[in-house]
Amino acid sequence: MAIFNLNVNGEMHQVDVDPSTPILWVLRDNLNLVGTKYGCGIAMCGSCTIHLDGEAVRSCTLPVFMVGDRAVTTIEGLSENGDHPVQKAWLEHDVPQCGYCQAGQIMTATALLKENRKPSDADIEAAMEGNICRCGTYTRIKAAIKTASKSRRI
Amino acid sequence: MKNIDANNHVTGRSIYVDDVPELGGTLHAAVYASPHAHGKIKKIDSSQAERMPGVVRVISWKDIPGQNEIGGIISDEPLLAADEVHFQGQPVLLIVAESEEVAREAAGKISMDVDPLEVITDPRVAFEKGHLLSDSRTFKLGNSQAAFANCKYIFKGKAISGGQEHLYLETQGAYAYPLEHGNLKVISSTQGPTVVQRTISRVLGLGMHHVEVDVTRLGGGFGGKEDQASAWATMAALAAWLLQKPVKCILHRMDDMRMTGKRHPYSSDYKIGLDENLKIQAYEAVYYQNGGAAADLSPAILERTIFHATSSYFIPNVEVTAHSCKTNLPPNTAFRGFGGPQGMFVIEAAIAHAAQELGVDAFDIQEENLLKNGDEFPYGQIAEGCEAGNCWEEAISIFEYERIRKEVKEFNNNHLLVKKGVALMPICFGISFTNTPMNNARALVHVYGDGSIGVSTGAVEMGQGVNTKLLQIAAAVFGVNPQRVKIETTNTSRVANTSPSAASSTTDLNGKALVNAANQILEQLKIAAKNILGLDSTEGFVIRKETVWINGKPTSLNWEDLVKEALLMRLNLSAKGHYATPGIHFDKKTEKGHPFAYHVYGTAIIVSNVDCLRGTYTFESVKVVHDYGASMNKMIDLGQTEGGIVQGIGWMTMEDVVYDENGRLLSNALSTYKIPDIYAVPEEIDVHFLNTPGTDMAAFRSKAVGEPPFLYGIGAWFAIKNAMLAFNPNLKADFAESPLTPERVLMGLYG
Repeated sequence: MAIFNLNVNGEMHQVDVDPSTPILWVLRDNLNLVGTKYGCGIAMCGSCTIHLDGEAVRSCTLPVFMVGDRAVTTIEGLSENGDHPVQKAWLEHDVPQCGYCQAGQIMTATALLKENRKPSDADIEAAMEGNICRCGTYTRIKAAIKTASKSRRI
Repeated sequence: MKNIDANNHVTGRSIYVDDVPELGGTLHAAVYASPHAHGKIKKIDSSQAERMPGVVRVISWKDIPGQNEIGGIISDEPLLAADEVHFQGQPVLLIVAESEEVAREAAGKISMDVDPLEVITDPRVAFEKGHLLSDSRTFKLGNSQAAFANCKYIFKGKAISGGQEHLYLETQGAYAYPLEHGNLKVISSTQGPTVVQRTISRVLGLGMHHVEVDVTRLGGGFGGKEDQASAWATMAALAAWLLQKPVKCILHRMDDMRMTGKRHPYSSDYKIGLDENLKIQAYEAVYYQNGGAAADLSPAILERTIFHATSSYFIPNVEVTAHSCKTNLPPNTAFRGFGGPQGMFVIEAAIAHAAQELGVDAFDIQEENLLKNGDEFPYGQIAEGCEAGNCWEEAISIFEYERIRKEVKEFNNNHLLVKKGVALMPICFGISFTNTPMNNARALVHVYGDGSIGVSTGAVEMGQGVNTKLLQIAAAVFGVNPQRVKIETTNTSRVANTSPSAASSTTDLNGKALVNAANQILEQLKIAAKNILGLDSTEGFVIRKETVWINGKPTSLNWEDLVKEALLMRLNLSAKGHYATPGIHFDKKTEKGHPFAYHVYGTAIIVSNVDCLRGTYTFESVKVVHDYGASMNKMIDLGQTEGGIVQGIGWMTMEDVVYDENGRLLSNALSTYKIPDIYAVPEEIDVHFLNTPGTDMAAFRSKAVGEPPFLYGIGAWFAIKNAMLAFNPNLKADFAESPLTPERVLMGLYG
């Protein structure tokens, strides 16, 4: 066990955990931020996607000791009132079905739009291919990303 | 109305089982499963695991206070193996520890020896040896043997369809904790709360009233949590009961994949006979269902295969037989379509075979034989409200099939190494549980003093949008703002003896029960309205936009005042509604009856694009005319269609469940089992709602939508095959094996 000071959603948190613990479980079990989901445990499904200094990473395979002082953002910290343009676009297109993968989808999509304000279809596919949705909401995910890309706030 | 959960979904606030805050002292359970596919247990060594710090208890079948039995239809499946194991991944021991990591690590320290027995993974081999899970079934119409004698063309072949891993992104799991008076509460990710309750009560030897099962929502189910959520919930409950502590049992993805059953693979033989006008005069098929090591839902799934043997076609002479074969694989189970898709793939394969041999388009045979009103299904039901022809004709005209066909042909003439293929996929899916007694539901509705409304039903929300539809129904029947209505969790203490959320019937059954309950309360509210308004009669009473109307005119009485008055009058504003689908029946002795409330129809036109050097492919478009009845929520229904198509394409093309000859799952993680990602989605999905009044048998005349769109995916296989044929006209005509992975495409192109 070791003590880590983590910057999560703009707040500092101290946790005492095994250094090899994936940050996913620190978020869920120690900080009660359960919006980030476990899906496969091998970074193949994207359900656990968070931001590390704004970049989308899979939290299920990222040991807590590797986080350092980089800023962690989870779905809970993406926006104050759930009104990030990507979240709003997701609502407009009624994207989620079961909802389980959607936090991860949104975190990947927001990271994409930060890098690339006007992504092409190919850009969207390249960025989103690691985020699996078993309900098959991909058509709407594509449409919602395009809608969000038109927002001035992106 | 948009999905009522959408806001929480996009902000990470929706709660799934593993998100429920843990009670102090919660323990965690992990499963030790058999590494052998078949054998008599000689020795199990769990001593190292038991000694590990943090391990609280290792539970075996000997600790079970009630019956060691979880089989739903047939009692042939233990919760924990006792003397024998029948598949790799069969649960043997349950390790309970202070943390999940310790429990899983301890499970890794257990070993087991068996006297090996023969391992069978092929359903045809199992059939030869007489290993069947249940009685074989045969449906007959007319006299196929006699009819074949008069057929000008007869074709025989074999069709194989593979399994499909559910891959609900939320793995199986449950959280159980003891309550006072010997009661237990179990939060489960299940489509069948009553199934879980009944199974726990049986294993613990408790009355069902001692077990309360609660479900908020599922992170996907697709059939995989209809019957197979029970084992894990029962394990959590067993440990919670024995230790009198809260216990959580959430499966790791790889454990979920190797321990749970999947869509049934089928291997089938068909024989199709046509006359000179391409009328199918006779059809025979034998289906070998790979059931796995225990019956689970296989007998019911087998039944639906032959209910859908002739798909959207009328064939006057039919004989179809299905065998449920026992193999040493995890018990296969429900998956969207429930055996129907497997049956429909075979008839489409037979038609494609005939078309290829006769040098015509499958289109010509399909169109010639489409089902019409008054036609008899092989199970005796007569087609009514049949939209097969309407969907087909509309798809052809609005999507300009003739133009598509010409463009594809032209493209193929001008391209050597890339070929396109077009296929049509008409669908017809029967709505109702084929087991008639399951077609019933109840709803508990409370109108509170402030005019707000609580609705409990047996419906489980798993992404299909049932809670949104129920909320719409409640708001419409009461004539109030949707914001007044809350859909409660699904809980066995509030609504009992429920059927699982399955068979696409959840909204129909629970929605109609809800209407029944709401109408009972409206009768009470009429009495209050009569009193306040000083009326002689309440004829023409209706509530619109929260205002009471009498005989077509608004009154001064609003919803909240009406409710207040009713309570002052000591009227009952709570009601339990009940619904049992009328008019359905089926006689298993004669194999005839009227099992379905109605059928759902549609037609898809699918265009594939195949790279004939690499065997890879994409789908240019899937264009659909679908019979939704009078859709009560187009946004949700369209979402079900888009998602169903993607899942169906996955089953037919890329999803390859592979076991080795020892029954070991090789496609055991997301790195070795590929499901559709954003690249796999058709470039264009264009869905047209057929203009139709729907049926009174559906809630609000809005037809069931969960499973039928999955069937369009079958057309993807034939669209690829047609592209392959453009490259290799010598492709074997009886080539019908799915999934049609790029490897299989290459072998077909150059084989």
